[in-house]
Amino acid sequence: MIELENIQYCRLGTQDLEAAEIFATRVLGLEVSARERNAIYLKSDHRDHTLCYFEGSPEDQCTAFELQDEHTLDAAADILEKQGRPVRFGTADECESRRVKRFVEFFDPSGNKIELVCRPLMSGIRYHGMRDAGIDGFSHVGLYSSNPARDEAFWTTICNARVSDRIGDAPLLRIDELHHTLAVLPGKKPGIHHINHQVGSTDDVQRSNRFLVEQQVPIVFGPGRHPASSAQFLYFSGPDRLTFEYSVGVMHINDEPIYRERQLAPTPKGLCHWGALPNFPA
Amino acid sequence: MTIASLQTSAAPNAVLEKLCYVRIGVPDLAAAAAFATRILGLEPAGGDDARAFFKSDFRDYSLCFVATDQAYSCLAFEVRTMERLDDVAASLQALGLRPRRGEPQDCAERRVKAFVAFSDFSGNEVEIVWRPLVSGWRFFPSRDTGIQGLLSVDVRSTHIAEDEPLWTQIFGAEVSDRVGDGCYLRIDDMHHRLSLHPSDKAGILSINFAVEGIDQIMQSSYFLHDSQSRIVHGPGRTPASGEIFLRFEAPGGQVFSFSTGMEMLRDEHRTRQYRQAAGSHCLWGSQSLLPEFGALEQMGGR
Repeated sequence: MIELENIQYCRLGTQDLEAAEIFATRVLGLEVSARERNAIYLKSDHRDHTLCYFEGSPEDQCTAFELQDEHTLDAAADILEKQGRPVRFGTADECESRRVKRFVEFFDPSGNKIELVCRPLMSGIRYHGMRDAGIDGFSHVGLYSSNPARDEAFWTTICNARVSDRIGDAPLLRIDELHHTLAVLPGKKPGIHHINHQVGSTDDVQRSNRFLVEQQVPIVFGPGRHPASSAQFLYFSGPDRLTFEYSVGVMHINDEPIYRERQLAPTPKGLCHWGALPNFPA
Repeated sequence: MTIASLQTSAAPNAVLEKLCYVRIGVPDLAAAAAFATRILGLEPAGGDDARAFFKSDFRDYSLCFVATDQAYSCLAFEVRTMERLDDVAASLQALGLRPRRGEPQDCAERRVKAFVAFSDFSGNEVEIVWRPLVSGWRFFPSRDTGIQGLLSVDVRSTHIAEDEPLWTQIFGAEVSDRVGDGCYLRIDDMHHRLSLHPSDKAGILSINFAVEGIDQIMQSSYFLHDSQSRIVHGPGRTPASGEIFLRFEAPGGQVFSFSTGMEMLRDEHRTRQYRQAAGSHCLWGSQSLLPEFGALEQMGGR
């Protein structure tokens, strides 16, 4: 089994690096960690970076998880190969560009690009955002899936994920006490459904709502509260129509042996118990 | 906030015991009554062709709509003893505010044993009552708003320099905080039960009901939006009192609000001064449509 320790970063291709930087810093509130000729690295917490925009196709996206060490990385590559899932080890340059010691790349059953990394760089300097968004850090992603039941089996049997709840057939998956680090959501083609950052308080979610409305950033969903994870949330639209989320108050599952996942309806009421209506891109 | 905190009693030597009821004049009693049950979620508590009473908590009623074409609003506080009521009447007389004793039929209508009515320096009608009726039956809301009870009243003042001392000196209220020249006044442990806001006219600015939590505030915000009610401020959060609030308009224009999380003050609280600005009335950045809460002012600076 592949033990995912942590969600590490997302890498997003874009045709307009400048616009992506403006959004990521002035709207989302991240801090520029490094600016290179074809890429911008953004920091949201104690890590070197948790988001990277690079010059490329907006369809070129990947999500990275940290593994324990190089030994488990090699073992993970073997497991994936045996599952008939080809892997590719990153070159030295690619490792450097990701600020990791080593990584392997593979595609999940829906075709989402995943990187498994070891020894990602930490930062000695604390995160200081471009605006007071109250961000605590990068926390989870939602991935589109052509078959959520099949992908659930992949993440829970080949990897160490557990189902915390299901909304329709879409599982919310945890790899530690946090209610979910990965959400697998039905979609026509692979890609990232949303990128989540945790914020410190209700006030941060609500203040950002007013800020984003004033900045004419399209609000996709919220402010609301998820019945599943109990988190208060706000989804909004970023560059290349990718959705970003702020949330606070996500449930922790500390009673692992007796916790039982619940089934929620794939309707507005299953997604928000305040009454907000979702408007995610088709 | 617990329900107990809504019943918090003032100290035994305090002049004012509790906020008691609010009376609001409305041109269309049926429309106002429909609003009280369908939107506010209050429980009907009797009435006739000219008046409609509504219950929100342990009180027999806390809101009374009075059918009239005149502008009319009145708020009432309770005192503990008849002697206290006499003292208050004498003090008001000395200030030249000409207090009036309630006639028996007026007392019966208000469901109180005795009361004294007067107008403050701005012309706001206030009633000080003794032995208001309490209901032994629990409040059963018409809609699941999570209402816990009547919490506080915001009042407009055209003569703030005279009205603030009236409340602090005659009625023993203490100033918790100030926004510009406006003030939050407390009579028990809660941050405030009454607030005064400088304005070019008199009248009740907002009648505030406590609800259980942020879930109820946000659920009502979507509910009011869907029912095409006019939200005039919020959802937002008041910097001074810590309340999360939602202010909205009844037919006829009276503003009501749901509120949760008002702070309780401890003895060492020192009065703070906030600037008169929209940002001092909402720290989430919601824009109010009410001039007293900084309407039409650019927030900026965030």
